[in-house]
Amino acid sequence: MYGGGNVFERMKATALVDEDPRKLAEFEARIERGEKIEPKDWMPQLYRKQLIRMIEQHAHSEIIGALPEGTWITRAPGFKRKLALMAKVQDEVGHAQLLYAAAETLGKSREKMIDDLITGKSKYSNIFNYPAFTWADSCFISWLVDAGAIVNQLANAKGSYGPYCRALERICAEESFHLKYGHHCVIHMATGSKKQREMMQAAINRWWPPMMHFFGPSDTISVHSEILMKWKVKMASNDACRQQFLDMYVPKIWELGLTIPDKNLQKNNETGQWEYTEPDWDEFKRVINGDGPCNKERLAVRRTAEERGRWVREALLAPKTKYITPLA
Amino acid sequence: MLKSLDPRVNRLNIPLEEAAHAQKNKLDQFETYEVFVQTKEDKPFEHVGIVHAPNEEMAFLFAKEQYTRRGMFCISLCVIKTENIRVSDYSENQKDIYDTFEGKYSGKTTYSFEVFHLIKRGKQHKYEGNVQAKNFEDALLAARDTYPRNKPVLNVWVVKSEDIFVSDEEDQDLWDTLQEKKYRDAIDYRAADKIKAFKEKQHEH
Amino acid sequence: MNTEAIKELVYKMADDLLILGHRNSEWTGFGPLLEEDIAFSSMAQDKVGQSWQMYKILHELGDSEPDTVAFMRNANQFHNAQFVELPNGEYDFSLIRHFLFDSAALLRYQMLTESSYTPLANLTKKIKGEAKYHSMHAKIWMKQLGSATEESIQRLQNALDEAMPYALGLFEPSPYEAHLIKDKIFAGEEALQILWQKEVESIIEETQLILPDWNSLIPALGGRNGQHTEHLQPLLDEMSEVFKVDPSADW
Repeated sequence: MYGGGNVFERMKATALVDEDPRKLAEFEARIERGEKIEPKDWMPQLYRKQLIRMIEQHAHSEIIGALPEGTWITRAPGFKRKLALMAKVQDEVGHAQLLYAAAETLGKSREKMIDDLITGKSKYSNIFNYPAFTWADSCFISWLVDAGAIVNQLANAKGSYGPYCRALERICAEESFHLKYGHHCVIHMATGSKKQREMMQAAINRWWPPMMHFFGPSDTISVHSEILMKWKVKMASNDACRQQFLDMYVPKIWELGLTIPDKNLQKNNETGQWEYTEPDWDEFKRVINGDGPCNKERLAVRRTAEERGRWVREALLAPKTKYITPLA
Repeated sequence: MLKSLDPRVNRLNIPLEEAAHAQKNKLDQFETYEVFVQTKEDKPFEHVGIVHAPNEEMAFLFAKEQYTRRGMFCISLCVIKTENIRVSDYSENQKDIYDTFEGKYSGKTTYSFEVFHLIKRGKQHKYEGNVQAKNFEDALLAARDTYPRNKPVLNVWVVKSEDIFVSDEEDQDLWDTLQEKKYRDAIDYRAADKIKAFKEKQHEH
Repeated sequence: MNTEAIKELVYKMADDLLILGHRNSEWTGFGPLLEEDIAFSSMAQDKVGQSWQMYKILHELGDSEPDTVAFMRNANQFHNAQFVELPNGEYDFSLIRHFLFDSAALLRYQMLTESSYTPLANLTKKIKGEAKYHSMHAKIWMKQLGSATEESIQRLQNALDEAMPYALGLFEPSPYEAHLIKDKIFAGEEALQILWQKEVESIIEETQLILPDWNSLIPALGGRNGQHTEHLQPLLDEMSEVFKVDPSADW
């Protein structure tokens, strides 16, 4: 699960000066033709750097994203929900594995990426810094946070880097189970007992603001983002993803008789765009920089898992083994 | 101790100090294995991704769950240590990489090699077949002379047959699953009736 | 057929699987490496899924719905061995328990594929592929960690010593052993235990671990009769927390 709002590296004006213009032109022509870039191909340093950063953030978001829903893994009601939630959270861990593997083909080792996650050096999707108070919160995440992620991931799957696209293809196939499962849960809550409905409505009220943050603030138009778009690293603007999400899911929330805590939320029939109260971007920044309700816990859990698993990995690690970058 | 809404986290008993430090003090990176899956008798093995593992047995264990846990899409699985695969250059989409190889195949049968082809950028490598040759370079030449190429081959992977760890035929039952495994699939979550009934009920009120 | 005897047999298997599957699911997201996190979660799901099928057999025999049976009983109504309800501890204990339990489970299923009670024979045929993977997974891990570093060997040895008396509780005889054997429903706990001890010995031999003397061990019994450690009731309370908000609700 991953939203927009990627924190891309700031580009220096000279970033492309050192690149061979002939190779750069070939590279850009290949992308222009709609062909994928594969690991052994020549690529500009900036492309490599930005991709590593983006895929790595995506991978971190999956592994950290397993935690809020994991909160309810031992308490899911009934066999069907119990099995599905176990499988769903497992898929998130699996997605992290696939994405780390894609980033590895660009030359950064998985352990280094995990190290950068647990030392706080690299970011993950902000929404996972919020707590899942009740079972209904886990239903919200399974349905709507995953829905948001799918909007973003389907766009990225059309990007230019082969290994990332292949990982996303596998991921999107699994996400369709998440989405249906999540929707199924929310439908049962919303059409169930008074208590269930109240739980579901409360969860929506809690999660709507972070959901609006999920795709990131409006993109500023810059040379930088133009290049990333041209190279098919960034595939859609944050606002376009947010609009698509609202278009697909607001009616589905409303049809269940649930409300959304934004009195300004409505579709403008002339422009075809959704209007909404501007999200609190100061809060977004504050949380991304570490001051959210669960930042500390999420990283602490990840660190502890790493730390307490170390003896296992050390025991598995035969001294003869040597790491080389995977192929594709 | 760290207090969490997740009872599992509370049971981890994470001291707040540990939460703040516990930096990894050294990198414990495993080597990687490339994973290939066969979905049907008449389909070739296809590359699906990698796993990190300390040896091929464990790579197999891990690959089975990471890539084939929705069991019905697999009849056989193999893993190959990444460093044992020799990779050719990539060619442009319309060019055949074999055309760039110079030299004559020795005809020697010192080793047995398995060959994988990539036909389109962005797709996965697929198993092509087996050749005999004296070394990796020779195997590429043998492959060039052996396989008909209706479509240009963009990239070739070659590996010694002995370096492939593949599931036994008798292990096919590893992928037998219960019908009830559907809980992992989207198809198992239909609820349109429930929405319809809900809407009708609201309409009555 | 002796329905009471069959029920006793199926209940203890189902409860073992549910409780251990639940325990093992606690690892999801916290595993020692990503790939193992995924594999361990699959095996936890398999166990819960298998238990679900067994509760369905019990439902056919006239007991309540699987959800009700699993989520509404109290500890003293559970027939699992105490072994499976113990907390996970660190990965050493979880791994040893996985090895000891799953070696027994695979042998039990193999015996039951011959059962004269068809529903059980059919089910165990269907799940023996899963059980085979579980046992394969456990063996490979045991061989690896049981002869790797000083720390891993010591940890597994401690876990093994702690786990063994509880593991023997898996074979607590039922009051119906003679019936089950006579009617060819199940060849009995004693026969199973003999096979299991051989299997465990053969794996431990390939490691640097030392097996305690079987005769010196005092099995932790009582689980099959509803006598449990202090760990089971809190586990059940947690498992049914949401379900019990409204047991009649459709979640």
